[in-house]
Amino acid sequence: MNTNLPFIIPILVSALATFLVRMLPYYVTFLDRLPPFLSRSLRLLPIAALGPLIFPGVIMDFHPRWYAGLVAVMVSSIIAYRRNGMIIPILTSILVTYLLLL
Amino acid sequence: MYHRGDLQERHGTDNLLIMDTENQSQLTFHQGFVEGSPIFVGYFPTAMAFGLVCRDLGLRIWEAVLFSVTNFAGSGQFLAASLIRSGSILLEIFISVLLINLRYSFMGAELSRKLEKGIGGPARLLLAHGTTDEVFSVAVLHRSPISKPYLAGLELTAYLGWVSGTAVGFLAGMVLPSALQLAVGVTLYAMFSSLLAQEFRQKGKDVLIIALISASLNSLLILVLKLGVGYSFVISMLSASFLGAWFIKEEEYRA
Repeated sequence: MNTNLPFIIPILVSALATFLVRMLPYYVTFLDRLPPFLSRSLRLLPIAALGPLIFPGVIMDFHPRWYAGLVAVMVSSIIAYRRNGMIIPILTSILVTYLLLL
Repeated sequence: MYHRGDLQERHGTDNLLIMDTENQSQLTFHQGFVEGSPIFVGYFPTAMAFGLVCRDLGLRIWEAVLFSVTNFAGSGQFLAASLIRSGSILLEIFISVLLINLRYSFMGAELSRKLEKGIGGPARLLLAHGTTDEVFSVAVLHRSPISKPYLAGLELTAYLGWVSGTAVGFLAGMVLPSALQLAVGVTLYAMFSSLLAQEFRQKGKDVLIIALISASLNSLLILVLKLGVGYSFVISMLSASFLGAWFIKEEEYRA
């Protein structure tokens, strides 16, 4: 972000994008009639988003100790795989990162 | 989507029998509040994590709260926050957030069909603003028509959990020892990887393959081709979705 741009601008841009996709189905009906391939692709978007949301950011953010974030997300993944809920995996990964950055 | 239609038709005939008694009197604001409470509990800590991320990003508390008030979208907000951090331009933020939240359009399509008729302008927009994954999955369990007070109660409870969690998380960040501050940067990634692990458990290895493709592509675009973070994100996400839709056959996968 351009540093002299106040945070409120990107926040509202993000809000606008979110609001548009939410109100759309209340005013149009074509969403139910999309070709199956397109509809399937769109439903996969949230899954496909997770990969780039993690990599390469998790490695770059902790440069030069790149392994700190990587080990932390591996730990949080394993915990989250075994039990429901987010708070334990998140807190554990913060702790792991903290220890690796000491 | 056609299987949903079948379901609705069946419910339609049921409604003829019980419409006046059970169904109408059940779906009150209070019922919405009761069913929204578990969502409140689930949202609160996640929103706290978002509050921490905002603080880490240099936002002030009112900006963090405004973020949650105007967006009310978990992964969309985390995405927007990480794009802001990486210095993306507004168009990148707009397109990326639009795409990651596009699933709300499909949820809204189904919700609006099941909602009682005759809900006008502002009320309709407010109800649309409350569409989230969790609200949707609770609300669609009911037979149509879903009443306005019920949906309002459900959404408002979830909304309060999200907004108050953001504020509390931000404040918690202020008393955090400074040695921990850097480590808090991992929150974002811990959250996404936890989501991925849970999706993997529920839906199988296809989830992992798709995420692996998009993660590799994104790393390639950013690290090797030096493309902007927002555009890389959009390209990787779309490519992996199309590839996934191509190699996963219709009945195997239901998002």
